[in-house]
Amino acid sequence: MSSGAGDAFAAVIECRGLTRRFGDRAAVNDVSFEVRPGELFGLLGPNGAGKTTTHRVLTTTLEPTAGTAKVAGFDVVRDARRVRDLIGVVFQEPALDDRLTARENLHLHAVLYGLRPRIAGPRIQEALEWAGLSEHAGRPVRTFSGGMKRRLELARALLHEPRVLFLDEPTAGLDPQARRRLWDQISTLRRGGLTAFVTTHNMQEAEACDRVAIIDDGRLLAIGAPAALKTRIGGRDRATLEDVFLDLTGRALRDDEATPRERLLGFGRRGGELTR
Amino acid sequence: MIVSPPVASPDLVLDVRRRPAQLLDVPVVAAMWRRELLRYCRDRSQWFGGVSRAILWLIILGYGIGASYTNIEGYTYTQFILPGVAALNIIFASMQSAIALVWDREVGLMREILVSPAPMPSVTLGKVLGGATVAVSQGTIVLLFAPLAGVALSPLQVLQAWAVMFAMGILLVSIGTVIASRMATFEGFGAISNGIVLPMYFLSGAVFPIRGIVGLGGFLVELPPWLKALMFINPVTYPVDLLRGALLSFQQLPPGLDLALAAALPLAALAAAVVAMNRLVVR
Repeated sequence: MSSGAGDAFAAVIECRGLTRRFGDRAAVNDVSFEVRPGELFGLLGPNGAGKTTTHRVLTTTLEPTAGTAKVAGFDVVRDARRVRDLIGVVFQEPALDDRLTARENLHLHAVLYGLRPRIAGPRIQEALEWAGLSEHAGRPVRTFSGGMKRRLELARALLHEPRVLFLDEPTAGLDPQARRRLWDQISTLRRGGLTAFVTTHNMQEAEACDRVAIIDDGRLLAIGAPAALKTRIGGRDRATLEDVFLDLTGRALRDDEATPRERLLGFGRRGGELTR
Repeated sequence: MIVSPPVASPDLVLDVRRRPAQLLDVPVVAAMWRRELLRYCRDRSQWFGGVSRAILWLIILGYGIGASYTNIEGYTYTQFILPGVAALNIIFASMQSAIALVWDREVGLMREILVSPAPMPSVTLGKVLGGATVAVSQGTIVLLFAPLAGVALSPLQVLQAWAVMFAMGILLVSIGTVIASRMATFEGFGAISNGIVLPMYFLSGAVFPIRGIVGLGGFLVELPPWLKALMFINPVTYPVDLLRGALLSFQQLPPGLDLALAAALPLAALAAAVVAMNRLVVR
């Protein structure tokens, strides 16, 4: 496990023995790691490994059962409010109001984060341009493609200038073009000095990270730069991150029961009432 | 580029941001309120539902049953049921607004709200006020049919009715929010409709009077005690009676009791909704 203690910079994200249990099952089990300033950090793991649980603890919507986590220097439990002020979050499924326009969604975000109106107006315009959505600003989000929704969410997560950006499986369900565009945008942000924490099970995406942590069954299995992991664990020339991943997590299929969210989504896709 | 370097001082951040309020943040309340109204205005099916319920219950049922029950304490059945149908629209709209929370929380905007620094009580208040406003608009659809029922409304009566309907909206959106906050998943509005909306409607004195019918011949009908008891437990009974007082000047319960409960119950329910929504923030 890498230690940031000797670094010149304080860690932006710091987990110490982080554990979250649901009943008997530990979704996250004694996980410790640090994310340095300006890093693009990937949390890689199969379905049900504990990625989303970690994401939720770090974004203050789930309390850890044991251990501590700090984001931007603040404890996620004791100083949850300060943490919330300083982070931007993109969720697995779009968390937009489908009946509101792109601009209205951004405006609501600006109010929730307490942006002053004189600042919010121009910044919303800037965000729409950055996301390439200025021409669609007045359209209800329900008419948007998956890629457009993602771009809007990313622009929204940045509207209040967060110190740390959290992305939970940001490219799930996107076509290759939209996927590429999203990663280009995330890379641009890194050059601006933003720290980003991305959960993913996509190997190509993990390759783009400065460092990745591989998690399975709630336990941290390995952490390091993709190249270092390939030599250390892949152990042979031309090992891919996918080899490393499969070596560590095994080849068994991960079948899970449908969660309430998945059942609800299925209901929505079948055209159920009150799902818009 | 809209990203600041990570060294930005917190003071600089506060300059572009308001100092956040702990409980009551007026811009957040206003934004949530506005969101509910925008969603409503863009949902044609809800308008259609409001008008169709008014026609079905007030015109078809009202005239149909009115042919047999020609007189309830001097009012035609259509007149008697007018406040009741307004209440039905309010119950429907309130529950619909509250139950939308289940979807919103799992796959909609509520996740973004729950992770934001906005104070949850303000979010809840805005949502409840917004839902109640939508409910008043749905109730008003029924008031537009009043001339057809032979009821002439003065501006003062309309204002009184709006006040009662708004209180009723707050009561029902809050109750619905408490229920929705405890639902993990749902299979549509059907269960809510049959399990909550219709019992609340039938047991509120909306479709039949609480205290016996005085027909044309002048005879009195008593309801069975168990039915009466259920009606008195139903929190909607009191605002419905009050609404009938405002629209027809005909009340069956003591006006003081109606007024006290129609004011106190929404406040208590709102408090319960705030508590329920706060529990969603961190699990």
